Amino acid sequence: MTVGHVIATGLLVLGVAVEIVAVVGVTAMRDVYDRLHYVGLAGFGALLVGASVLVREGFSLIGNKALFAGAFLALFGPVLVHATARSMRTRQLGDWRDGVEQHREDEPS
Amino acid sequence: MNEWELAAIVLMAALVPCVAVCAFASAAAALAALEVASTLATTTLIVLSEGFHRQPFVDLAVVLAVLSVVGSLAFARLMEGDI
Repeated sequence: MTVGHVIATGLLVLGVAVEIVAVVGVTAMRDVYDRLHYVGLAGFGALLVGASVLVREGFSLIGNKALFAGAFLALFGPVLVHATARSMRTRQLGDWRDGVEQHREDEPS
Repeated sequence: MNEWELAAIVLMAALVPCVAVCAFASAAAALAALEVASTLATTTLIVLSEGFHRQPFVDLAVVLAVLSVVGSLAFARLMEGDI
């Protein structure tokens, strides 16, 4: 068993564990905004798994594509969370800006 | 069975709670669960590709990663209204 093999297995276990935490979070939380916190986390699990494949295979066709898919999900996870939260706020309030000014006035300066 | 196949089984089992949330929770919660489930499916394809040494699986993972983000954004945009 080489050092690269150990690192790849460690990254794989860590990535899968992060995704399991994301699944538990999205299942157990009550509010949709609480659930959305875990969507971005799942993307970072995919990035760790992609890095694991890259360590194992090197910069090959499988390694490059695995890293690209993981990095894409990690990069666009927060974008997806923002777009979904904004959409849900619009769905609930009619306009996502409703209450924002009032919230700013309530903040201590 | 190697560690990659074991990871694929764990990730596929993790899809079950996401499907349950999609089936039984509100539409907004279902969208969040769908987004996590699509990430899980992409990761499963990556892991299967390495486990079986089959490159087409990782091609599927790349396509699924891009299309799942685009699809989820479309769902989020459509759900601003009442559907």
